Amino acid sequence: MKVGIPKALLYYYYYPFWKKLFEVLGIETIVSSSTSKEIMDKGIEFSVPEICVPIKVFTGHVAALIEKADYILVPRMVSILKDEYFCPKFMGLPDMIRYTVPGAAEKILSPSIRSESDSISDPKHYSEFVDVLGVSAKELRRALKEAEKEWQRFRMLSKQGHVLSDIYRFLEEKEELPEITKEEDPFQVTIGLLGYVYNIYDEFVSMNIIKKLKELGVRIITFEMLDEGEIFRSIRFMRKRLFWTFSNKLLGAGYFFYNNPSVDGLIHVTAFNCGPDSLIGKMLELDSGQYEKPFMTIRVDEHTGEGHLLTRVEAFVDMIRRKKIKMRGALNHENNFSIYGNNAGL
Amino acid sequence: MKITFPYMGTTLAYKKFLDLLGHETISPPKPNQRTFDLGVKYSPEFACFPLKVITGSYLEAVEQGAEVIVTSGGHGPCRAGFYGELHRKILHSMGYDVDVIVIDSIRRDFKTVMQNIRRIKGKNSWRKLLWAARLTYRLIKALDDFEMQIQTKAAYEVSKGDCWRTWDKIQGILENIWTDRELEAAQKRCQKIIDQIPIREVPEEEKIRIGIVGEIYVVMESSVNMQIEKVLGDFGCEVRRSHYLSQWLDDNVMPKFLGKSREEEILKKGEKYIQIQIGGHAKETMGHIVDYRDQGFDGVIHLMPFGCLPELVCQSIMPKAMEELNIPVLTIALDEQTGIANNLTRIEAFIDLIKNKKRKRISRAG
Ligand code: SF4
Ligand code: SF4
Repeated sequence: MKVGIPKALLYYYYYPFWKKLFEVLGIETIVSSSTSKEIMDKGIEFSVPEICVPIKVFTGHVAALIEKADYILVPRMVSILKDEYFCPKFMGLPDMIRYTVPGAAEKILSPSIRSESDSISDPKHYSEFVDVLGVSAKELRRALKEAEKEWQRFRMLSKQGHVLSDIYRFLEEKEELPEITKEEDPFQVTIGLLGYVYNIYDEFVSMNIIKKLKELGVRIITFEMLDEGEIFRSIRFMRKRLFWTFSNKLLGAGYFFYNNPSVDGLIHVTAFNCGPDSLIGKMLELDSGQYEKPFMTIRVDEHTGEGHLLTRVEAFVDMIRRKKIKMRGALNHENNFSIYGNNAGL
Repeated sequence: MKITFPYMGTTLAYKKFLDLLGHETISPPKPNQRTFDLGVKYSPEFACFPLKVITGSYLEAVEQGAEVIVTSGGHGPCRAGFYGELHRKILHSMGYDVDVIVIDSIRRDFKTVMQNIRRIKGKNSWRKLLWAARLTYRLIKALDDFEMQIQTKAAYEVSKGDCWRTWDKIQGILENIWTDRELEAAQKRCQKIIDQIPIREVPEEEKIRIGIVGEIYVVMESSVNMQIEKVLGDFGCEVRRSHYLSQWLDDNVMPKFLGKSREEEILKKGEKYIQIQIGGHAKETMGHIVDYRDQGFDGVIHLMPFGCLPELVCQSIMPKAMEELNIPVLTIALDEQTGIANNLTRIEAFIDLIKNKKRKRISRAG
């Protein structure tokens, strides 16, 4: 028996968990290869045109695995925080895949995650495994515990400041982790990179923006490096938060970047047709004036051209760097920002 | 305190409620091109179409001096809550100092709802509030009841336009009631007017019944759905909608003691296609399609706003569902540019298909 894991959507956030889980259960897994033109085309073929790219990408990965695996992991992500939910497309993902990808209906393995924290190891989400995969409840509990441990280790690496692409190279290919750039150098450009993990780290979708920024000598901070408490403190001023967890994390990270003096500018990578991102972008844009930090939006879709995108990123970084040099690295604007201030104009 | 509310469907009921409590209300104009343009201009680009129309609608209301916006949290984890927050921010950034009161389902968040209800109650006694609520509820029931009659009769009216003209007249009459007595008298009058509309006799087997399902805003608000009900009536189709205000109230506001609600039944029917509630009305949409099929409807029109997250899930599932359920479904996506001109041919073809299907069935049976 083989379980296929699509390399898309929350793969980037939870893969070490899934991997360990199946390993301990003694079940073979197969991960789809990185997004390619073929996978993208398959995704386009099986999804409605108006749906966002990440869902098309996921659909393509499922289609790529369908012949190769007995089951395909399509988790139903409902919530990982009390009173917050996932974007509706995540909640309805197994339903959508079931009725769109030929042959998927009988192969979907779909744990239903309704958790109150990022940790998704509660056995009650996985009752299906006992019935479908024939593992015992006891085995399952043990495997989940180990998976959780593994995942916490992975999260720690993020929180130390590593980007996920480096972490995966370290975990999967045993490459060494690069050293984390310190912010001591006054001319060091630091960018808060906002975006869902499945947009930023899918090299096909984001045209490997991480690599590009690194080549430009930029220090990158992303939401998954921040502490959850920190993220939520930055949006405490809002009477109501978004209902979508990962969108909240991005919004929180956005305000954190605004308020954090070491961040020089923000880049928001977002998919065409993503409603939640559009709301986040609007909120941050409406407030950007107050923070005097450059904010750039990069829209990706199935046809974005690489050259164009990279020139824009380059120009953006250049602009920030020039500004820094002009100010001679004098970071005296620190006083203008109160780090956890509730000054967002509400 | 000048109060306004989002424009959706028969807004005279919301206005009546606030009027009965002695508030000064500002009724936004029925959404039109200007509303759309304003909304599109000031809303996030990929926000769903209803959010944009409501932005425009609020802007028009504040232009007229509205200071407070009362709105419902909508349904489930999609529209609820955050819309209010974003709208407030957009309006503030344009220099309008308005407050947004969001009334959520009382079953979900009792405390905040009570706080907000107290604000709307103002200086009125609780008794008066209750009375106003009851009268409004009865008014809404009456409106929905008449509207359904119109939706049926419009298919068979002898002179075109009779029914929908009558509907406007009825709304005009019901707008002017202030007491229970007046409501009852008005109801009798309205019923008489409806009964007098001349209609053609059509044999039962030739009647065509179409259900309209989808996201609540575009289903309920005719100005954003190309007046689809009227269009269908003109094609000789009886129409029902998946959403009526009175049902929404029954499902969301009324205390739950009458056992299984209609909503639960519909949700149950949708389960095969969408297992859990994913926000908006996606699961209901699927449930209503199954329900209309079970009731023997001839076809379904599925309305979805552009950018609607949950309805995109429905749209993805639709081809398979249609096949399995053996009922024709036409999905129409709506935004500020959707004119009837572009869709008329599609609708016409859809109705033809239904007619042919029916004829074949009849001749086979005969
Ligand atoms: S959050 Fe945006 S990009 Fe992600 S699935 Fe939802 S609509 Fe698509
Ligand atoms: S259900 Fe659709 S239209 Fe309604 S608020 Fe949600 S996204 Fe917008």
